Amino acid sequence: MVDFLFYLFSLTTLLAAGTVILTRNPINAAMLLILTFVGTGALFVLLGAYFLAAVQLAVYAGAVIVLFLFIVMLLDVETARSGKPNYPGLVAGIGVGALLVAGALVLYKRGDYFTLATLRESVPVGASTRSFGVELFTTYMLPVQLAGVLLLIAMLGVIHIGKRTRDSSGEEASHRQ
Amino acid sequence: MNWSHFFALTATHQWGSIFPEICLVVLALSLLIIDVLGGRRIDRRLVARVAITGQLLLVLVAFTALIGTDDRLDRETFSGMLVHSQFGQIMRFFFLVSSVLVTYLGGIFLKKNPLPGTEFHAIWLLVTAALMLLAQSNHFVMLFVALETVTVGFYVLVSYNRNLSNGLAAGLKYLILGGVSTAILLMGIALLYGIAESSGLENSARNALKFDELGKFLEFNSDNSIARTGVLLVVAGIAFKIGAVPFQIWIPDVYQGAPTPVTAALAVSSKAGGFAVLVALVSGPFRPMADLLVPVLSAIAMATILFGNIAALTMRNVKRLMGLSGVSHAGYLLIGVVAMFAIPEARNAIVFYLVTYLLATFSVFGVMAHVSEGGRDDIQPIDVYRNLSRENPFLGGVLALGLASLAGIPPLAGFVGKFLLFYAAFKAQLYGLLGVAVIGVVLSIYYYFGWIKEATFRDWKLSRLEDEPSPRPKVWPELGLAGKIILGGLALLILLLGLYPGPLSSLSQY
Repeated sequence: MVDFLFYLFSLTTLLAAGTVILTRNPINAAMLLILTFVGTGALFVLLGAYFLAAVQLAVYAGAVIVLFLFIVMLLDVETARSGKPNYPGLVAGIGVGALLVAGALVLYKRGDYFTLATLRESVPVGASTRSFGVELFTTYMLPVQLAGVLLLIAMLGVIHIGKRTRDSSGEEASHRQ
Repeated sequence: MNWSHFFALTATHQWGSIFPEICLVVLALSLLIIDVLGGRRIDRRLVARVAITGQLLLVLVAFTALIGTDDRLDRETFSGMLVHSQFGQIMRFFFLVSSVLVTYLGGIFLKKNPLPGTEFHAIWLLVTAALMLLAQSNHFVMLFVALETVTVGFYVLVSYNRNLSNGLAAGLKYLILGGVSTAILLMGIALLYGIAESSGLENSARNALKFDELGKFLEFNSDNSIARTGVLLVVAGIAFKIGAVPFQIWIPDVYQGAPTPVTAALAVSSKAGGFAVLVALVSGPFRPMADLLVPVLSAIAMATILFGNIAALTMRNVKRLMGLSGVSHAGYLLIGVVAMFAIPEARNAIVFYLVTYLLATFSVFGVMAHVSEGGRDDIQPIDVYRNLSRENPFLGGVLALGLASLAGIPPLAGFVGKFLLFYAAFKAQLYGLLGVAVIGVVLSIYYYFGWIKEATFRDWKLSRLEDEPSPRPKVWPELGLAGKIILGGLALLILLLGLYPGPLSSLSQY
């Protein structure tokens, strides 16, 4: 059963990812990217990393894709015309892909670093939501608090740079001229 | 989970040990609250005054803490996230002093430019708190979060003058290149974490993100290629922050487009933050990688000194000039970092150099903030300073002292700083680096004294033609009492530390 699900979700992810590249409509590409992320999230569930799966869905499928869609809609990107393909990009993509596959093959052949036994031995912090939460609020308390400061800075910055005030940009600028 | 278990896990969370940082964050929040409650009724300068007063109190508290707390040093708190060392204490104090001066410059800038001020002061206080935590971090998670807080704050501050297209462009450049450098740093940390905790290797670490445990792993596996790549990537990420070649490409444009106080903050606090991290890493976990890092850092230092000085020769915009000269100062400081591998005492020379750099840079930027006109903060050609010394001897004198100290002229603090650094390099037998550094210093005298000449001797012997209209007399800014005290104090300290460097060098000896 698990094997069947693994193949199902792998196939979904691969097909969706391939179509993201091949489709010429940016909205369709963004939607298919969601499918890719959902497929990857499902693979995480099969590996027992539930928290990672939830984060994958919430952050990537939720926030990142919404951001993509916003940009696509704001910029009013039209469907890409069928021109000549982007050869440097193609070569770079194939090169990086080949390197990744080669790396995976080397690890598979060696098999001593990442056997299931060594992986089980060290359960990573993010594996279960409970241990993750406990770690966050005990060991990593200070970085979590500081991350709050980071978000405050980001919020202040967005408000300051994005806000259009009459007294600063509009009126005084026209007075000066 | 019961409470006793929770208390056992958080036993080392001693919040009192980061009292100054907490105070800074509270101060920033209260500035925002004052702004919200006061609205338009309150004086625009009230926020700046509250910010400066609060920070001055903190500086006093931190100074008393700096003098007498030997028993509370060399301990880890927050489950190993922070380590409290003498070096960390000095850097904390350094960032606080720098923060007061940037707030003061920010007040001048905001008086000339119609921009809301509360956000500036609040963000800068938060950035300073993060910098102070960065100097004490002992764990890569802490280091990364603190560094990102600093960087995100600077993204906002660089593009703070949003009415200026150059300012927004500078912010965008800094955002993109900063993002790339963060990615590089994170990749390095991930590689180190992955290889140090893989149980297939001998002496694998249990908690590889902690500096000392990573150091133990690297001691036994210093020839592991993944570990070496990770170390190189981490150093590259930090090289971006300090503006070392080949990661200096953002400096001139960002320094020019950013508001003048932010440029000063980038030049002093951001650079010192990068060096605090680099010194902590080199004296701790990366020490076993000397055979890799000594040649790499030496090459970077040489290229940085030469690039910074040669590129600064032709600059006519003073903000670009200060940026590129700052690149060369990063190169001199890197010599100290290389020397630390041979003699750990070189750390004292680095601290002393950073202090002299702070004094000189802020006196130059203080004059720049006063002289610059409102509106076009990004255009500050060197011609603006013509005859400054004759018509306003105080500003001209402070400028000349600051520039001469940056150039390293003997009776001033900058000379002692350079002397201590070069002496450390001499003891570490880095003769090639010393040669390049001396060439760099000679080159730097040209552009620093070009500026002094512009301010002092410009119309010395050029007799004006009869029909040429005399240039309209420039109105130099009036300095308030606070300005006189701050700029005069900086200039006095430059002289005093040059004549009697004893107190500071004894403070940094341990």
